[in-house]
Amino acid sequence: MHIMEGFLPPEWALFWWVLALPCLAFGIFQLKKILAADREALPLLGVTGGFIFILSSLKLPSVTGSCSHPTGTGLSSVCFGPWVTSVICAIVLLFQSLFLAHGGLSVLGANIISMGVVGPLAGWAIYRALRDTRVNMFFTVFLVCAIADLCTYIVTSLELALAYPAEVGGVVSSFILFLGIFAITQVPLAIVEGVVLALVFKYIVQLKPEILVRLKVFPEVKIRAAAGDA
Amino acid sequence: MYEELLEDIAQHNRLREVNTGTKLTAGLGAVILCLLSASFVAPLFIALVLTATLLVLARIDPATYGKAFFGPLFFAGLGVGAIVLLAGGEGTFWSWQPLPWFSLSVTQASINQGIFIFSRVIGGTSALLFIAFTTPMTDLFLVMRRARMPEEVLDLAMIIYRSIFLIMDQMVQVYQAQLMRLGYSSFRESIRSFATLAGSVFIASWEAGEDLTRAMEARCYEGKFAVLGEERSLSLPSIAAVVSFLAVSAAVVGATSQIRLF
Repeated sequence: MHIMEGFLPPEWALFWWVLALPCLAFGIFQLKKILAADREALPLLGVTGGFIFILSSLKLPSVTGSCSHPTGTGLSSVCFGPWVTSVICAIVLLFQSLFLAHGGLSVLGANIISMGVVGPLAGWAIYRALRDTRVNMFFTVFLVCAIADLCTYIVTSLELALAYPAEVGGVVSSFILFLGIFAITQVPLAIVEGVVLALVFKYIVQLKPEILVRLKVFPEVKIRAAAGDA
Repeated sequence: MYEELLEDIAQHNRLREVNTGTKLTAGLGAVILCLLSASFVAPLFIALVLTATLLVLARIDPATYGKAFFGPLFFAGLGVGAIVLLAGGEGTFWSWQPLPWFSLSVTQASINQGIFIFSRVIGGTSALLFIAFTTPMTDLFLVMRRARMPEEVLDLAMIIYRSIFLIMDQMVQVYQAQLMRLGYSSFRESIRSFATLAGSVFIASWEAGEDLTRAMEARCYEGKFAVLGEERSLSLPSIAAVVSFLAVSAAVVGATSQIRLF
């Protein structure tokens, strides 16, 4: 769930925009570098963006039946790195606010920070830590996607809590309350997203491992071995 | 599961031919005025005017509009509920303090704040829907190019835009096929089905991306798409309408800043 238009007071909306812009600028810089080296990457980045759009406009089979949705950013972060994912996410969020009235324009900065910057960064950190270890490849993907999703919602709660601190206990207790509201739907959902994307990853390994080899997501030997096993 | 995209409606609304800049000024102006307002009156006024414009001038189907409008509001309601419980302030009606550092209360001030935020969401959502229902994305690309958005980002945005429709088509087909074969009959089953759905669509769209690369190479793509779009000429009545809308709304924002419900 994204923060809705009008939900944040103007000063906080502006604050998150100011934080988001340098991240986007760095992402665009990296994007230019990637495209200068390999122009063929553009369509592939494009379909990934389309994929994130669809995935995060969908309702997953969620236990609570809420409208919570996966973010899909974990997979993109692993494939293309966190900063390029930020740019893709920013475009996707803009489209969502203009296609589905999902999210908003003044709060776009806040949504970019939560879904496009912190989530992918957290996922990427885990991916880098586990990539070259003996940890199972699919378990790594599960962790990356689940943690990217969870971090997105933790940051969303923080954004809400900072804008609306409680009278007693201030930011901390309102953070806990918002987190509590989200946790009901989001913890099961993050696990489901992790499982689903790990299965998606397995499916890609079985049917089209070239994609992953080309992006150097995992060492080739590991991918070939997994594809052979299957 | 797959709601109609607002984009489809935007392609044939009655305000389609109005200059894009004029429409964007109205929508963005409304967003900013809603944020600047200090009371719940102005956002509701803005929502009322924009809704009337959409239903009467743009001839948007009221049922479609209602569905697009009330979906987000339900979640806004949840968030506002939390704020009402936390904000505290004068005139307590009810309070509960389970822990020394954690207390929930309903007060006159917090109800006022809740109403205020909720009305701002209503105003903001209506402004967003105004842009969404009247301005197709293809028109916005033209504005983005003129606003000097980096070429790479613009090209990426256009490819994402295109691939959304491609992927959506495939997803709907596979999903319906799975549904017919009872792929979503149990929770376990639906996780499995959803994963294969997402996986196969990912691979298919990847291949579509590769095809696109080849097609672009064949047409001598060198890092910049041509954006084709008709210039929609400025018209005096629509500019006058937008200027007077913004002026009246700004006056309402100024005049009502002290009004509280309780």
